[in-house]
Amino acid sequence: MYRNLGYLLAIAIAAAFPFLVPNNFFVHLAQIFAYTTIAVIGLNLLLGLSGQMSLGHGGFYALGAYGSALLAGSLGWPLLFSIPAGVGVALVAGILVGLLCLRTRGLYLAMATLAFGFIVEIAAQRWTSLTGGTMGLFGVPQLDFGNFRMGPVYFFWFAAAMLLLVQIGSDYLFASRYGRRLQAIKESEPFARTIGLNVPIWRTAIFALSAALAGLAGALFAHQSGFISSEAFSIRLTIGLLIATVIGGLGRSYGPIFGAAILIGIAETTAALHEIGLLLYGGILLTVILVFPEGAIGLAGKLIPRKTAKAPPRRDAEEARSALVLPQAKGAALDIVGVSKSYSGVVALSDLNMSIRPGTVHALIGPNGAGKSTFINVVAGLYQGDKGTISIDGKDVTGTSAHARARLGLARTFQNLQLIQGVSVLDNVMLGVRPERGAPGDFLAWLAGGGHERGERRRAEAILEFLNISHLRDLRPKDLSYGHRKLVELARAIAQQPSIMLLDEPVAGLNAQEAASIARVVSDLRDRGTTILLVEHNMDFVMGLSDRITVLDFGHRIAEGTPEEIQKNPDVIRAYLGTDEAAA
Amino acid sequence: MTNFLQLLVSGVAMGAIYTLTAKGLFIAHLATHRLNFGQGDFMMVAAFLVMALLIAGVHALLAVILVVLALCVMGYLLERIAIRPLDALAERSTPYAWVLTTAGIALILQNLVELVWGGSAQYAPPLFSQSRDSVVIVMGVGIFVEEIAIIVVAFLVVGALYWFLFASRWGKAVYAVAFNPEAANLLGVDVRGVIVLVFVIASVLAGVAGVLIGPLVSLHPHIGLVFTIKALAVASLGGFSNPVGILIGGLLFGVAEAFSNYWDSAFGDLYPLLFVLASLAIKPSGLFGERHADVR
Repeated sequence: MYRNLGYLLAIAIAAAFPFLVPNNFFVHLAQIFAYTTIAVIGLNLLLGLSGQMSLGHGGFYALGAYGSALLAGSLGWPLLFSIPAGVGVALVAGILVGLLCLRTRGLYLAMATLAFGFIVEIAAQRWTSLTGGTMGLFGVPQLDFGNFRMGPVYFFWFAAAMLLLVQIGSDYLFASRYGRRLQAIKESEPFARTIGLNVPIWRTAIFALSAALAGLAGALFAHQSGFISSEAFSIRLTIGLLIATVIGGLGRSYGPIFGAAILIGIAETTAALHEIGLLLYGGILLTVILVFPEGAIGLAGKLIPRKTAKAPPRRDAEEARSALVLPQAKGAALDIVGVSKSYSGVVALSDLNMSIRPGTVHALIGPNGAGKSTFINVVAGLYQGDKGTISIDGKDVTGTSAHARARLGLARTFQNLQLIQGVSVLDNVMLGVRPERGAPGDFLAWLAGGGHERGERRRAEAILEFLNISHLRDLRPKDLSYGHRKLVELARAIAQQPSIMLLDEPVAGLNAQEAASIARVVSDLRDRGTTILLVEHNMDFVMGLSDRITVLDFGHRIAEGTPEEIQKNPDVIRAYLGTDEAAA
Repeated sequence: MTNFLQLLVSGVAMGAIYTLTAKGLFIAHLATHRLNFGQGDFMMVAAFLVMALLIAGVHALLAVILVVLALCVMGYLLERIAIRPLDALAERSTPYAWVLTTAGIALILQNLVELVWGGSAQYAPPLFSQSRDSVVIVMGVGIFVEEIAIIVVAFLVVGALYWFLFASRWGKAVYAVAFNPEAANLLGVDVRGVIVLVFVIASVLAGVAGVLIGPLVSLHPHIGLVFTIKALAVASLGGFSNPVGILIGGLLFGVAEAFSNYWDSAFGDLYPLLFVLASLAIKPSGLFGERHADVR
């Protein structure tokens, strides 16, 4: 509710602002603030939330500006059509550049966007018949709603309204499952795919959205003063936007407001020092990143003591476990036929067959290097096998990707735990929970306040309680002990309500008591119908829990059977302990 | 035919410059997964320094030595100011903070050069020949002496780099750090030293490129960005992991650029760049690169 009061307050301030300031110069600054903040919000979503770098946002800004200016100026489109069209141009360019991040990221994306911004700048400079080059484009229609005298005020109100809408959108992204998922994609791509996210689509979408916001800022800029020149779209613009993003507080929804205000303040106070403008920009960039990496918001947050999350008392184990009745799962059959996989000649899996019946625990054991992790990754879809087929309940999934398999009901845990450090334990579990509402419904619920994601949260809390770790829910994963982190990872997999669960060494590194409690959970899951594929070295755990066991050695299946059969199998004993000849 | 050979030599000369600059990006990225987004600006600074020394009457060899030493110091300072402090910040640090810190240094360098030498274009005296337009006649075609000298020197430097990487103990240390810094540390490799070393080498390579390029182009303080972009493009052709790929990619890029500039003087310099961007979309790990993934 406080949030909506904030929005109303912002509307009131924006409405009154032009009448409170002494002259139109301040209105002009306020205009710059409004559209610049929109571009900075776009960068903050990209860099702060999804962790992708762009050094080419000046290019999208320029495309929005020229797109709208040319359509309105040369073709005489009304501004209310030309501005969305300009945004559309930036959006399309954003999708095209973003397609690069379908398969590249990090350094490559930084490089590609740097090159993109450079190409746009050069084109704007040299394609003078279209853009006017450095001499500029005169007579671009101004956004004044036909009233010359009040025009600047109307422009400000229009830009401020756009800013408010964009800010509300940004707040929602940060507060909702979308922000959580982007955080997950930022930190761990395998994790994100495991919970059913089509990572390239998400990456491209957030990149395109960010580009479109830069385009909107550029389009507004074009219609502010009626003149644009290619000078405005140099690398300095991109750097300025990046400075604003970082200086405000990266990855905070309100960072851009502070960042843009500080940037404009710096630009105005140092306007007379243009000879050392780059020196100042470079110096500020270094200072902010090295000394105040959390930006203005982070600095303010340090001055105001934050209330610490209080841990509720740990409950008695038996009482806690009764709080959740796991839903019945419809376990699926998992069939692996003739799967092989080799890494540049080294065979990791050789013609492996395995048939896992619904609702059973099937363990896969073998010495180190036997191919167990490769097998899990091939089944989960993170690796593609060279040969063979994998089917879930008779449905061939060999060619499908990891996120598609996750949506078919496959969940997994990782041996090297993949927990998202940027969000709380509870949010980590909520990443696995299937949303109850579609995007519009969820947005409206969020806007109304209160019950947003209440159902999903309750389910995640119940799972934490079931695992007896609900007192940890507000902590970050890195603050937990190793055993607790394993439980959180398991909780996330349970939240996905899988029909098949792949557990990669669920008790490695745990003490006997912790292992026993995980064994209880796994057998509970099995009793309620979930199919479980288990990779584990702890033989007590495996023998006590499994319905069937497959033994791998050097990528070959050397035995399969019930725990009793496996324990007596001479081949297995040889693989694990060596033969008498070898020992002698 | 005349044009063809001249363009080819010019292209190979520029390609050699791109290769040198890109090798600097490659070696820093190899060991640290970071690189200097001001690599082109380091090159620009070296070009201005050598120009100033030559005009002041310093002997060419001494000028080159002084500039290389200056770039060593710059590489060291870059690591100290823009790279090392980020490790202390650890998870508080911004994603890709190194992109922004090194770019920040580049902005400062541009501004300093502009303050000293002004913003207008400058022409550096040639290093190897009597005048900027001395030619030798090869197969009846006039070829610039300066370009040939550039090609020879660049190849010598690339050769020295390969010797360093593949035959020296330090080269092994670089690869050890690239593979796993913690393990390298346990094996007695001075990880911090290697990191400083790769940034110094990267900086020196930019310096050599700057010394060589001075007489080929008109210098101004903002020339660096273009070279950073092109060096990044060349390094990504080699997948940032394959030094031979970078050599081939750099030469191809230079030659392609020479011909496309000849063909379209207005936008010719953009086509090779667009080609690289398109090829990245199709083959993201570079034309010569490999990629590894391991999920457990």
